[in-house]
Amino acid sequence: MNRYEFIVIGAGPAGLSGAIEAAKAGMKVLVIDENHRPGGQLFKQIHKFFGSREHKAKIRGFMIGEKLLEEATSLGVEVRLDTTVMGIYKNREIICTKDDKIEHIKGDHILVAAGASENMIPFEGWTLPGVIGAGAAQTMMNLHGVRPGNKILMVGSGNVGLVVSYQLMQAGCDVVAIIDAAPRIGGYGVHASKVARTGVPFHLSHTVVKANGDDHVTSATIGKVDSNWKIVEGSQKTLEVDTICIAVGLSPMSQLLRTAGCLMAEVPQKGGLIPVCSDYTQTSLPGIYAAGDVAGIEEASSAMIQGRIAGAQAARNSGYISDEEFLVRVTDLKKSLGQLREGMFGHEMKGRTDIVKTEEGFTLSKSLLEKGYIDESELASFPAAAACENEYEVHPIIECTQNIPCNPCQDVCSKGCIIVGDKITKLPIISDTATCTGCAMCVASCPGQAIFLVKKSEDGSAIISLPYEFLPIPQKGDKGMALDRKGESVCEAEVVLVQSAKALDHTVVLSIMVPAKYADKARFFRAGGEKL
Amino acid sequence: MNNSADVIIIGGGVIGCSTAYNLAKQGVSCLVLEKYEIGHGGSSRNGGGVRQSARDVRELPLAMYGVKNLWPTLSEELGADVEYCQKGNLRLGKTEKHMEILRGLSGNSAKAGLDVWMVSGEEAREICPYMSDEVIGASYCPTDGHANPMMTTLAFFRRARQLGVRFITGESVLSIEKIRGKARRVITDQSVYEAETIVIATGYESRGIASSVGIDIPMKKVLLEALVTEEQPRMFDQMLGTAEADFYGHQSKHGSFVFGGSSGIEDYTIDTENSVTTPITAPCICRGIIKYFPILQNAKIVRTWAGWIDETADKVPVISRVSEVPGLVIAAGFTGHGFGISPIVGLLVSELAIGKETTLDLSEFTYDRFKAKM
Amino acid sequence: MKNLQDRSVDMGEFVAMPDDDLIICRCEEITKGEIRRAVHDGMTSLIEIKRYLRSGMGLCQGQTCAKLVRAVVAAECKASPAQFELAQPRSPARPIEMRTFANEE
Repeated sequence: MNRYEFIVIGAGPAGLSGAIEAAKAGMKVLVIDENHRPGGQLFKQIHKFFGSREHKAKIRGFMIGEKLLEEATSLGVEVRLDTTVMGIYKNREIICTKDDKIEHIKGDHILVAAGASENMIPFEGWTLPGVIGAGAAQTMMNLHGVRPGNKILMVGSGNVGLVVSYQLMQAGCDVVAIIDAAPRIGGYGVHASKVARTGVPFHLSHTVVKANGDDHVTSATIGKVDSNWKIVEGSQKTLEVDTICIAVGLSPMSQLLRTAGCLMAEVPQKGGLIPVCSDYTQTSLPGIYAAGDVAGIEEASSAMIQGRIAGAQAARNSGYISDEEFLVRVTDLKKSLGQLREGMFGHEMKGRTDIVKTEEGFTLSKSLLEKGYIDESELASFPAAAACENEYEVHPIIECTQNIPCNPCQDVCSKGCIIVGDKITKLPIISDTATCTGCAMCVASCPGQAIFLVKKSEDGSAIISLPYEFLPIPQKGDKGMALDRKGESVCEAEVVLVQSAKALDHTVVLSIMVPAKYADKARFFRAGGEKL
Repeated sequence: MNNSADVIIIGGGVIGCSTAYNLAKQGVSCLVLEKYEIGHGGSSRNGGGVRQSARDVRELPLAMYGVKNLWPTLSEELGADVEYCQKGNLRLGKTEKHMEILRGLSGNSAKAGLDVWMVSGEEAREICPYMSDEVIGASYCPTDGHANPMMTTLAFFRRARQLGVRFITGESVLSIEKIRGKARRVITDQSVYEAETIVIATGYESRGIASSVGIDIPMKKVLLEALVTEEQPRMFDQMLGTAEADFYGHQSKHGSFVFGGSSGIEDYTIDTENSVTTPITAPCICRGIIKYFPILQNAKIVRTWAGWIDETADKVPVISRVSEVPGLVIAAGFTGHGFGISPIVGLLVSELAIGKETTLDLSEFTYDRFKAKM
Repeated sequence: MKNLQDRSVDMGEFVAMPDDDLIICRCEEITKGEIRRAVHDGMTSLIEIKRYLRSGMGLCQGQTCAKLVRAVVAAECKASPAQFELAQPRSPARPIEMRTFANEE
């Protein structure tokens, strides 16, 4: 029987990272994945990631996946795709498929990095074609190049709901609304803003009541919920949609761990049933580790670190690295993981509705939490978002108002204009000594698309440079309307510059000219002349 | 919470629930204590056979009584569909050696009055056209059949509960105590219960519980495994088995095929806390099935599971009052063929518990029959 | 089973609700009403409900419906979902043809 020192189940961020870490220490590693492509959820993430350089910030998800695979294979890791692990049996024996056969393989150590699956909510008509999980819609679009529908209702305003809504629009769909039964938007404010400025409305405290249609969805009825989750009389309205996307959370895909007999615990904040693990990803069964979403729903960046901890464990337990070296590695990794878990959306804070101020003491934008866009009046409290001293010089406006571990803006400015500091959850501030050259690298690199360049002119006009990731890419000279943060037209605009250098990595920087008095409002561009 | 009843049944499997139902029907107050969920053990894991053929002849009267008098109307009686299907049992053979085994088994049963006989390969294929040409013959018993063991257990539970039986789950029985010469108390890890009569119906856990009052039932745990397919188009209704018992199974009402089997070395299977499947058995069962029913090779298996049978030294159960411990009744050791006789056993055990003369003779199933070879 | 449960506790009259025909287990088409009725029949373990109704026995083996069934049962018992142990997953992790499973390398 084939025996490997380290078997990794799942070639996603956690699995590949674990494989790399173990292979670097000299171990013989086998990675198995049931999908045709490696990278797990990464392969369909087309947006730029948060975090810092070590967390692979500002790199698009699918590229991270490709890089991880490259690194793994270059280290001699064996990767088997289209291979399903059917079960984990006694003595760490697995049965996996191999074309039309099954193979028994044993591992000295097994890392289960099987990820998570989407949650569902049942409602009248939920079995009609047209009701689809947001993750499934994302796979359809980004992997298979097929639009799931044309007019979409997104149910759920966590990061998945927000990010997929944006991607649906990039694919050419019309996102009619984003709803959430909670009174606050669950995902990052910047993800919501990206969507809100294109005109997509948010309806919080709303849930889907019914999907209408005979053999497919033709509309959706939504209703307001009271504090007891009951539909408020008379609050129902019907939206014309052909697709209802469900983004109501993920649950760890823990079947393999449970069939193996790992001790599990029910932890709602982490997605449900998770394995009881030591600090270093060790489950209750010796030699079996769990990392990534299967160990508790988080982000890909956390998954990568957890995977590496598991790889280091396997290496230590197999004698490839010493105890001392192991401790050095995992201490570093745990510190990095800790950074990612800080901020408003971190572990400890998840689900809390009482946070009203940022770490710095600024009042959080209520409008951002409830409607998806910052109200102009709230911007004044955020130094980097308020107008600077000399508005006639090009200067960045950073509408980043929630503590999220993220700092590519700092690293990407060659002049040192933007400062985040060691604690990467801190809101960026603009240096009052450095001079902005208007290169717009920050505009393109901010994963939240929250940075704009503004320059007013003596002639009463202003130029706003904004990040743009839709097709068709506007041309210089195109005329259209400038939209404000909530997606309403504010004035006519003309495209004066389109920047799309390779360094910007597919985020076009669009510079539009608007009357100066709208410089504080204009944050998006729609080609064509109709005022909305 | 009133912790006493006329009868306490330890074990919420099909035997315990069937007994509880029968007691309730006779107006006897009854309390069932179950450690896990209703039907946790063999009751929910077996292959669903309601079979008379190929049984030890001692069990035959029980099996035949049940098939004749109880199974055909059980769904109606319990108000839930137990999916009983009486379309016969084919026990298949591919070699002359198999034929010898089958002739022996069927001969013994026929002598005892069962309608079972040998058929040729062609005749077998007429009854069930899906079997391969490799089958050269079979034993056939037209009144055998199958049912849904999970539903049957829960149907007995549901009806018994409706009739007033108290079921308490999450109760782990540690010991039984005699008070003034009679078995009276049941000690769990949370409580103490009292009854006039105590019935042990806990499958392989029965040996441990009985030992607390000085009784030993010689039995061992043997791991058997099973698998189920996705829904298939309706193919055949017979219960199937093979001469050397490589597998047995049927197509359920739902359309899925349920098959049970063993690895050949199941006597030595490592004891795990939860009964989990070994990596070698399911593939072995599959190979067995495909040899006989090539059409099933593309059927997708959705689940495999395992269960411990309580195999007694002579492979038939203990269904008996325990004379040396008045008030104690044991109904265990069904050795993997308890489901088919569960309705009649429930009636018989209720009679033992009340002290009535039993409907059938149970002298072959006494608790103290196990003797040395000389 | 961690908790002691007296199954004789009166669950009250079964009151039909307008959404009883809502499908909860899509693979086997088990409705909310069927689950609620089973609870009223004394079945408060998710494993019992699965065996009685077949919810969770279909192709996805409960991946979609397990939490949803639990929510219905918990609501009917007026208890927290965390008190109900989910049914045990078993191998194979995905449906597999008999001929593949039989074909060991």
